[in-house]
Amino acid sequence: MHPLRKQRIYIISTIFIGISLAVFLVLKGLSTNINLFYTPTQINENLVEKGVVFRAGGMVKVGSIKRHQDSLLISFEVTDFKETLVVFYEGILPDLFSENAGVVVKGKLNDKGIFFAEEVLAKHDENYMPPEVAKMLKEE
Amino acid sequence: MIPEAGHLSLIFAMVLSFLVGFVPLLDLFLKKSTFGNFLRPISLFHSFLILSSFLCLVYSFYLDDFSVAYIANNSNTNLPVYYKLAATWGAHEGSLLLWISCLSIWFLAYMSFTKGNENNLVKISYIVINQIIFSFIAFTLFTSNPFARILPISPIEGADLNPLLQDFAFTIHPPLLYLGYSGLAIPFATAIGALVSGNIDAVWSRHTRPWAQLSCAFLTLGIGLGSWWAYYELGWGGWWFWDPVENAAFVPWLITVALLHSLIITEKRGLFRNWSLFLCILAFATSLLGTFLVRSGILTSVHAFALDPERGVFILGIFSYFIFGSSIIYFLKNLKIDAKSNYELFSKEFGFLLNNLLLVILAISILFGTLFPLFYEAFNNGDQISVGAPYYEILIVPFVFFLSILQGVGLYLGWNNTKNFSFLGRLLIVTFTLMLIVSLFVYISFGNINKEIILPIFLFSWIFSGTLIDKIVSSSTKETLNFLLQRSGVILSHLGTAIMIIGIGVVSIFSVENEVILEPGQKYQMEDTTFEFINVEEMKAQNYISTIGLLEVSEPKRSFKLVAEKRYYPASNQIMTEAGIYPTLKQDYYVTLGDNIQGTKWSFRLLIKPFVRFIWLGCLFISFGIFISIYLNFRKRNV
Repeated sequence: MHPLRKQRIYIISTIFIGISLAVFLVLKGLSTNINLFYTPTQINENLVEKGVVFRAGGMVKVGSIKRHQDSLLISFEVTDFKETLVVFYEGILPDLFSENAGVVVKGKLNDKGIFFAEEVLAKHDENYMPPEVAKMLKEE
Repeated sequence: MIPEAGHLSLIFAMVLSFLVGFVPLLDLFLKKSTFGNFLRPISLFHSFLILSSFLCLVYSFYLDDFSVAYIANNSNTNLPVYYKLAATWGAHEGSLLLWISCLSIWFLAYMSFTKGNENNLVKISYIVINQIIFSFIAFTLFTSNPFARILPISPIEGADLNPLLQDFAFTIHPPLLYLGYSGLAIPFATAIGALVSGNIDAVWSRHTRPWAQLSCAFLTLGIGLGSWWAYYELGWGGWWFWDPVENAAFVPWLITVALLHSLIITEKRGLFRNWSLFLCILAFATSLLGTFLVRSGILTSVHAFALDPERGVFILGIFSYFIFGSSIIYFLKNLKIDAKSNYELFSKEFGFLLNNLLLVILAISILFGTLFPLFYEAFNNGDQISVGAPYYEILIVPFVFFLSILQGVGLYLGWNNTKNFSFLGRLLIVTFTLMLIVSLFVYISFGNINKEIILPIFLFSWIFSGTLIDKIVSSSTKETLNFLLQRSGVILSHLGTAIMIIGIGVVSIFSVENEVILEPGQKYQMEDTTFEFINVEEMKAQNYISTIGLLEVSEPKRSFKLVAEKRYYPASNQIMTEAGIYPTLKQDYYVTLGDNIQGTKWSFRLLIKPFVRFIWLGCLFISFGIFISIYLNFRKRNV
């Protein structure tokens, strides 16, 4: 075979293999690692399946933060000013978590429909609000 | 008066950069060099204007001039002077000015090596850089002017710098990162210069490589520093979050690394010329895209600035101008025929090609994951999603694996073809010997060894053997010395990636973390380390009130005290956790103070992070390797 043609075959097959690998990994990654965002209203309308990891967000309701006395269990209510979602979380909350501030939680509903968060993300400065929450509030 | 002086300088600089960014294009049509002669003097002048404008802003911060809105929002009289100065780039407006200043510094450096009118390549490069400077100043002045005043009633006190940013690493993280980002404008400009003037050759490549290398070195330092900062400042003990903004820096970094390698081939063999040009454009494009993602706030991120759609549209405009403009030039003017070379499958050329392909495909896949939430939202009635960190982890491991394999054999491959494969057996023996030693060391240090850790140990040993150890073992002392002297840059950089891989592997697999509630005097055992909670005290500092938790940490070899703080910043009404960290090369002991649970009970997050320092040590190696390589090339050329 002509050496230049051989070279071209090598290059094209390498590109093909590289791209296939990437596409395979991207699809594999996306199939298990994307989390939908829901508002408390949508959650209360039973739009979310139990046991599926998703994200929810809103404002932390004033006076709703309750702490268990002997463990790191904590509960608070997240509101979109129409409905509220009670969130349970075990662990240390981020610094910027506070009442009447924007928050995004990631977790799932258990068999009884109680939301347990695996992760709590609070905004990072006072002017900043997670885009999901900002958009949700704007739609009101 | 000082803010006005800064403002005016910036306006002048904008007008001047506009003039020299567009008018000298007439030269190309008139085939004369009338306006080209003004390029350098005017560019020099406006670069100094930009830098003085920046200094005016810094000085106004020093003077606490709260009549300037930006200063009132980001500084405070109680702030230590050092942070007042660093607050200049503490938010959107000032950091844009910093970006422009960094580009001006690069431009000045570029001007010191060129005359501006010697040939069309350099002339066009000057014009392109001026256009970039112009568009960014316009963006700053029209949408985010840092010199805007609050008059007639100015606040007496400022709102304070975000406490997260009151920190040493933060103060140098943005300048380093921006030096990296904006430095990519120089290869971009020379690429356009080469395309327009038709001088796409080894001279262009030699002309461009040091600038790409400098950008890459600074990007590495900037990203590494950002990671280190996130590790100790955010209080979670993580060092990389796959946050959109981190990706926005990581993607241009990958492209720039590909570019560095591709430019070597273009310079030495005249190959991959179109590809190198394409990468110059892609590197700058991704750095602009990163800027757009950060500034417009369209993605959820810890770095996002407050939302402002107007800014997003403006940057999108700049982005489109440069990217569409350069793409059109690229497709019209690129070389239709590349140099011919009969390189075989096992050749250096093919190795570089694979390296580039892997880096670019990885970069694009990461970018895809970062932007996927936007596509999803657009096609699913506004439903919102996020892409989790595991996506990126699944993606990056195979790519890093293949790239590391290439690194190990890269120095042995010959141009065109590799005739002698005898190195392979020897290399494998050296690798396995090293693997045994490292595994033994890991086993002794951490008391166990598992399946997952084998891969990072293998990659580490493979790269180490292939870049250094096999050479030392197999050649004479004189040869080795010569090799070390000539190739120290590439050796250091490649070893840096190996060090990073072993660091990432060990810290991901052997980290221990626990969240606990402790009373004073109570102990908590983790592995062979005991954490004892001593007490909590309150302390007042210059601009914050601190709650300090004191712990006594004892392990078989030593015991020491750790101080975990929670700081309350009254000016901004924010709370900040300051982790207590006892760093050793083997592992970090990391404690953050949680909340007061009840009475004297407090919650704590206790972590042991083995080998975490190796990640940043790797970054240092990579960037110092690049600096040395720039120096060696420079010396070689001037001998």
